[in-house]
Amino acid sequence: MGAAELVRRGLVDRTRTLLAWNVGIAAYVALLAATFTSIEGSESFDELVQDYPAALKDLFGLSDVVLTTGAGYMDTELFNIMLPLLVLVLAIGAGSRTLAGEEEAGRLELLLAYPIRRRSAVLAKGLAVALEVALVSLAAFVALAVFDPIVGLELDFERLAGATFALAVLGVLHAWLAIAVGAARPGRGLAIAVPAGLAAAAYLVNGLQDLASWLKPFRFLSSFWWAGQSPLSTGVQYDGCLVLAAAAVVALAAGALLLERRDLQVP
Amino acid sequence: MADAPAIHMHALSKTYASGVRALVDVDLHVERGEVFGYLGPNGAGKSTTIRLLLDLIRPTAGRAEILGRDTRAQTVEARRRVGYVPGDLRLPDRLTGEEQLSSLARLRGAFDPGLRADLVERFQCVLDRPIRELSRGNRQKLGIVQAFMHRPDVLILDEPTGGLDPLNQEEFRKLARETAAEGRTVFLSSHSLEEVQRIADRVGIIRSGRLIDVDSVASLRERSLRRVVIRFATPVDPSAFTGPDGVRVQSVEDATVHLAAPEAAMDGIVKAAARHPVADFVSEPADLEEIFLELYREDDGRG
Repeated sequence: MGAAELVRRGLVDRTRTLLAWNVGIAAYVALLAATFTSIEGSESFDELVQDYPAALKDLFGLSDVVLTTGAGYMDTELFNIMLPLLVLVLAIGAGSRTLAGEEEAGRLELLLAYPIRRRSAVLAKGLAVALEVALVSLAAFVALAVFDPIVGLELDFERLAGATFALAVLGVLHAWLAIAVGAARPGRGLAIAVPAGLAAAAYLVNGLQDLASWLKPFRFLSSFWWAGQSPLSTGVQYDGCLVLAAAAVVALAAGALLLERRDLQVP
Repeated sequence: MADAPAIHMHALSKTYASGVRALVDVDLHVERGEVFGYLGPNGAGKSTTIRLLLDLIRPTAGRAEILGRDTRAQTVEARRRVGYVPGDLRLPDRLTGEEQLSSLARLRGAFDPGLRADLVERFQCVLDRPIRELSRGNRQKLGIVQAFMHRPDVLILDEPTGGLDPLNQEEFRKLARETAAEGRTVFLSSHSLEEVQRIADRVGIIRSGRLIDVDSVASLRERSLRRVVIRFATPVDPSAFTGPDGVRVQSVEDATVHLAAPEAAMDGIVKAAARHPVADFVSEPADLEEIFLELYREDDGRG
């Protein structure tokens, strides 16, 4: 009962922020969709890209993609870097704010003095943040679904839905990592730095592993490797998504237990 | 458990990771139906004690019970019957007072709507404006309402009158006395002896993490010091004021005499002063640190 209120509050407090994010992402998708009409079928553009150095193509996920198709264009421009980046910014921001940020601001003291278990509070906050991430991912999905028939992207809807799911799972993992770090130690800085650093390293490892073969063994540690690249062109890695989801659950559960163990920091 | 004391601390101790011994072996019994003042200067360990009671921080030794429930092992049960006002109340900026109170009521899962309306009326809370636009006093009033609105058996209040104007302070004192009269318990911290004397039945005095005295307000008042400043028309011999009743001359500048005196000695001082032409007479409560220095000189030597 009390925990449900924490979920509700977590979302209500963020209505304006979420609205801005959703509008922003929808607008960005609209802009891309509009530019697609001038690139569509332009062979010279595709040739230009295929002449890029292999390292660059790997890093930006251009290798298995035909840029001049709707799927290839949206993979390159959205799903391979831009959407994950945006969703990670939202997710890590929200995850670090809801626990570490609230503690730093001194607002956790009154809540935790109420008859609610700390682990319930962590799980409730985790759920609220996951819903936020899901909502923003959904905004991208809806925008693409709306513009698909208008500009003729000819996207595979099952893949689009799967790509959105993979995006949300990637976001939730990092949001819950931010919560777990905030639960383990007070301070918002660390709760941002750890998941952001992990995400950046994961992106580089995944992008450069073909080029720098010594990175190969580390690809199992890369969230981006599990999430997969170019989902609209090559299909969605559902098994990889499950691995990420499992890691996310472990992170949040650890956070719930870690917060039980320590003193609350008060300003 | 039905007749367990409101608050019971057994050798409660807290040493922070920094090595600071914020609380050392505190044993304290607070009965139901009393207003207990927890008195000490800033940094004495008042908030540490209160946060231990609410399980916000964990004791390094000892334990505590609220209404017979262990604050660690039965933390949720212990907190269910408690209302709390933090010493540094921080509320979400964007919510209005109304939204904040409703949200906290849902978080607890229990509150008394009639009682809430009554409290809001008594303190004239501002409910329709976002909290960031409220003055410190208006925020503090919301803090008091949320602590009382579910009619808890134990109220744990960390400097609850901070920021309140005198009218609201008086309203708060009335509320605390009514609460105790209903058999419920108010445990409040303060750094003002004056305030505690006006509101509490008993007082615990804490200094440098140690509970150095627990006493009734009546006997504390007898022992409590006042700072007296008398300005005479012409210089006088200050030795006329010292006697067996505990008056100490702190300083003499020209015709002005500074005294530290227990309340019981006031009559003698006034009569002694009246033998000379008096230009001004000021008597005010000594601040807590002074009282400690006077009352607990020996403790100090040992500590």
